[in-house]
Amino acid sequence: MSVNVGDLDAIAVDARQRIGAASDEAALEQVRVELLGKKGALTGALRGLGSLPADQRAAAGARANALKGEIETMLASRARELQAARLQTLGDQEWIDMTFVPSPVRRGHLHPLTLILREVKAIFSRLGYEVALGPQVEDEFHNFEALNIPQEHPARDTMDSFYVDADHLLLRTHTSPVQIRYMLSHEPPIRIIAPGAVYRRDATDPSHASQFYQVEGLVVDRDIRLSDLKGTIEYFARSLFGPDRRIRIVGDHFPFTEPSIAAAVSCGICGGAGCRSCKGGWLEILGAGMVHPQVLRNGGVDPDHYSGFAFGAGLDRLAMLKYNVTDLRLFLENDVRFLKQF
Amino acid sequence: MLISLNWLKDYVDVQVDVATLAERLTLAGNEVNRIHEQDVDFEGVVVAEVKSLRPLPGSTKNQIASVSTGQSVAEVVTGAWNLAVGDRVPYAVPGSRLNDRRIETKSFLGVPSAGMLCSAIELGLGDDAAGILILDEGATAGEDLRQLYPRDTVLELEIKSNRPDLLCHLGIAREIGAIFNVPLKEPGISKVRPADASDLVRIEAPDGCRRFNGRLLTGVTVAPSPSWMQARLRAAGVRPISNVVDITNYVMLEAGQPMHAFDYQRLKDGRIVVRRAREGEEIACLDGKTRRLTSHDMVVADTERAQGVAGIIGGAESAVQKETTEVFLEAATWEPRSIRRTARALGLRTEASSRFEKGLSPALSLAAVDRAAGLVAELGGGKPTRSTDVYPGPLKQPRIEVGVDRIARVLGVTVQPAEAASILERLHFSIARSDGVLRATPPDFRLDCTIPEDVVEEIGRVYGYDRVPSTLPGERSTVRDLYERRDADEIAREVLAGREIDEAVTNSLVSSSETPEIGIPARPASFVRIDNPMVENRDALRGSLLPGLLEALAFNARQDQPGARLFELGGGFWKKTTDVVDEPRLLAIAIHVPLGGKEAAAELRGLQATVATVRNRLAVASTDFRQAEATGFHPGRTAEILDVGGPIGIVGEVHPATLARFDLPGRVVAAEVLFDRLAAGGEVTPQARPLPRFPGVRRDLTIVIRGKTASNDLVQVIRQLGGYTLREISMVSEYQGPQLGAGARSLSFRLQYQADDRTLTNEEVATLQQRIIDGLKQRFAAEVRS
Repeated sequence: MSVNVGDLDAIAVDARQRIGAASDEAALEQVRVELLGKKGALTGALRGLGSLPADQRAAAGARANALKGEIETMLASRARELQAARLQTLGDQEWIDMTFVPSPVRRGHLHPLTLILREVKAIFSRLGYEVALGPQVEDEFHNFEALNIPQEHPARDTMDSFYVDADHLLLRTHTSPVQIRYMLSHEPPIRIIAPGAVYRRDATDPSHASQFYQVEGLVVDRDIRLSDLKGTIEYFARSLFGPDRRIRIVGDHFPFTEPSIAAAVSCGICGGAGCRSCKGGWLEILGAGMVHPQVLRNGGVDPDHYSGFAFGAGLDRLAMLKYNVTDLRLFLENDVRFLKQF
Repeated sequence: MLISLNWLKDYVDVQVDVATLAERLTLAGNEVNRIHEQDVDFEGVVVAEVKSLRPLPGSTKNQIASVSTGQSVAEVVTGAWNLAVGDRVPYAVPGSRLNDRRIETKSFLGVPSAGMLCSAIELGLGDDAAGILILDEGATAGEDLRQLYPRDTVLELEIKSNRPDLLCHLGIAREIGAIFNVPLKEPGISKVRPADASDLVRIEAPDGCRRFNGRLLTGVTVAPSPSWMQARLRAAGVRPISNVVDITNYVMLEAGQPMHAFDYQRLKDGRIVVRRAREGEEIACLDGKTRRLTSHDMVVADTERAQGVAGIIGGAESAVQKETTEVFLEAATWEPRSIRRTARALGLRTEASSRFEKGLSPALSLAAVDRAAGLVAELGGGKPTRSTDVYPGPLKQPRIEVGVDRIARVLGVTVQPAEAASILERLHFSIARSDGVLRATPPDFRLDCTIPEDVVEEIGRVYGYDRVPSTLPGERSTVRDLYERRDADEIAREVLAGREIDEAVTNSLVSSSETPEIGIPARPASFVRIDNPMVENRDALRGSLLPGLLEALAFNARQDQPGARLFELGGGFWKKTTDVVDEPRLLAIAIHVPLGGKEAAAELRGLQATVATVRNRLAVASTDFRQAEATGFHPGRTAEILDVGGPIGIVGEVHPATLARFDLPGRVVAAEVLFDRLAAGGEVTPQARPLPRFPGVRRDLTIVIRGKTASNDLVQVIRQLGGYTLREISMVSEYQGPQLGAGARSLSFRLQYQADDRTLTNEEVATLQQRIIDGLKQRFAAEVRS
């Protein structure tokens, strides 16, 4: 097949027309293939150059190459036009309703008592406390006698116990026996928290249950003072409830601490003015005190060399205050509608 | 404890407002729970006696009461129906005032009503709006109601059990005196007493009675007590009865010593015997009930029979009555443990017993008898004739040495010795000071101070804990145990939550008879029993967490929340020997599948994967299961969970019969493991190995088997035959279907071959594959496709 300049002109006219007519980027690509592809018109024409006489070949070759450059320029320019047009309407073409949000991946929910204990543990671990555990089935020595609560002591009235059929065993009424167990098995310095379930024969109502949860704290070292206890309580309470809360320390009485105190935080609802949720603007959070010298002795610690403080808080109470739970019974009911709020 | 501010002012000048007073008392350890302030200001309301009642013509709601004020009789229309002829009622006469409301004569259906009869709420004397306030019989008609109910503020205090000395107005006055540094005005008590009559009282059980004071008065006239006394008793929550009885209560509320008054003439032989009750001895008590006593109980008796349960309640027989003229006053100090035991055995807690069981000082009783005798003489016209004071072991208060430096060492604040001494003196301690030491002797009315820390507490609470600085203990903790603890619990919880399982906390107390047998097979057959359960169906400690979880699933299904997925990480209680209870930590998971069989099988596989995932995160890479049977579980869908030492738990579908006990439709898959075994093995520290230098070869193997062949067994054979070159076997899929025929199952495995020192040839792998295929065919009659 022979090629003449007229053919090349025809290709040029045809190319201009077809490039201009390509209405989208796919059509334009189709045009490019038809013109410049392996079987394209211009490619065919270039291939035909070889059959031309030598004198014409140079001129026709130059013309053909120029035409190739022109076509490429036209294609690129048209491509830019088409892309610009496409980008102009991109929002309409590829619109997605971004407010139709799929539910997050379903996950299980941890129990509020776990969550509050986690917070308590995190706060005390920053202060270098370890977690100690003790049995829930206790004996009278650890639960009562070693804590200065002999038989017929009035404090037993508030801690009516469940007795277990094994000899002299009962369900612990508080986490304080862990104090004794830990002191007997460890040398000072001691710095522990001891969380866990405790049991009392209390009738069930929104703020009482026969099974509830406490966290005990014990620090024994040289030269521990009430001011250390006060500072610890403040750090704990503000870490848990917020730095703007005020803390009130009042006198109290426990057989196993001397002096004994109770701590309250200012109510988060009324800000301390007094409301239905609090008592005169205050929410009691824990009882505490300096470990009684006899209790230290019962734990095998010499009170002439060491002193210590202890505190005990209701974990469920802390969870109720922090998570606004108004009925203690919800904690053991395991209604998934409740659990899934945490 | 109810404290009347009016009464308190007899003993101490309160110079601050009531809110400040309450705050300071609270800070010092005497929590003020409530402040009752009368909020109705009334004037011109008098006591009237109802003379007659008749209906108001034309009304079904109202009636006409004819009331007398002593001088005059008036007719008043009232809407209340709780009245009876003879009742004393508050009568707002025409011209009287309730706050801003003037009371006038008003007409009801044409009948004039001269003023009105008042309810408790209208007068601000209580919350009762339902009817007219019925006053005490002793109220005198015509008397101004303000005499009976003076304006007062009542503090409700919570007194700690070690401070029975504060269960009275004088005690609180002392606290206020110490806190605000104002002097105490003690009531003037005549100490003139008749001669001691040693034959009047005999103590046969001295271990139960530390001191016994008695006083006999003759010529007494029993009558209502004066209104000022009645008003104070009422403010303190005690009902007035008669002058003699009221005086005993008054003295108790003033100084803290419970008392009792006997009609002396009713005491056989005029003698008091303090003894233990005879076994089975009965006594008719003041509250109208007859009680049977045991030989543990202390009684106050005459020569014949018990006339009172010591320190708890008086007897009806010798009670003071209208006709009584000779009164024997008792103020004793009873042994607290004995009182507590008896009160508990009788199920009777009285004002007196709750004081005695806290341990009262024997120093109180003589002053109390003096005070009461003086009041009886004054108000009842009696004359003290005989006296007795049996007090074999007088109180000796300790002298407690407190180094001044110890105060700072305990409190963390330096209290100047002079201030410390002043605080203690204000609390009525006697103080001797010498070179850095305070020698403190507690006042005789307090038994709670015996060691230096007690004295430091007194200083601290009055000094004010708000003045103690806030510090943290020095940074001297050891690092010893920090290495040991890895929070396996928290890791397990996160993994389980990630598998869409919610955390539950169920009750440790279960029913020994109704709890279905299900749980980890290692648990003992019998429960740890509670000797004194509160309710019958909570009479044992759980051996497994599963029954609680199943109950929770059923509970949720009833709340229209089927398909609950719960786990619990908690303690079981396993009886080891008669006096040792093991508390293994258990992890249990229970998943409700509301629909039937096929979904349950898939859930069960998922649950196995969950258990393996937890174990994988905590300890070891893979978990083995062994087909098993266990009570409470599906006979064909249960496996033991194994570690190298043997079974550590159970996983399976809950037996439909067990599920039926919970009334839970659908199916449940469940697992329970010994958590510490599951987590055992310590934290796995990854150890890097060189990457394979030569390509490995992967081959799939599909095996069709029949019957209950466990794939675990297949894997074992494959592993054995594959040798060292077979590095990894994973279970890929399981298929059961019509193409295979009934009872057949196809299992697909993926096998990874690898050599350390060369590229495996196809021939080598083919030989191994063939060896495995032949082995499987032979051992399991399996059809194998490579």
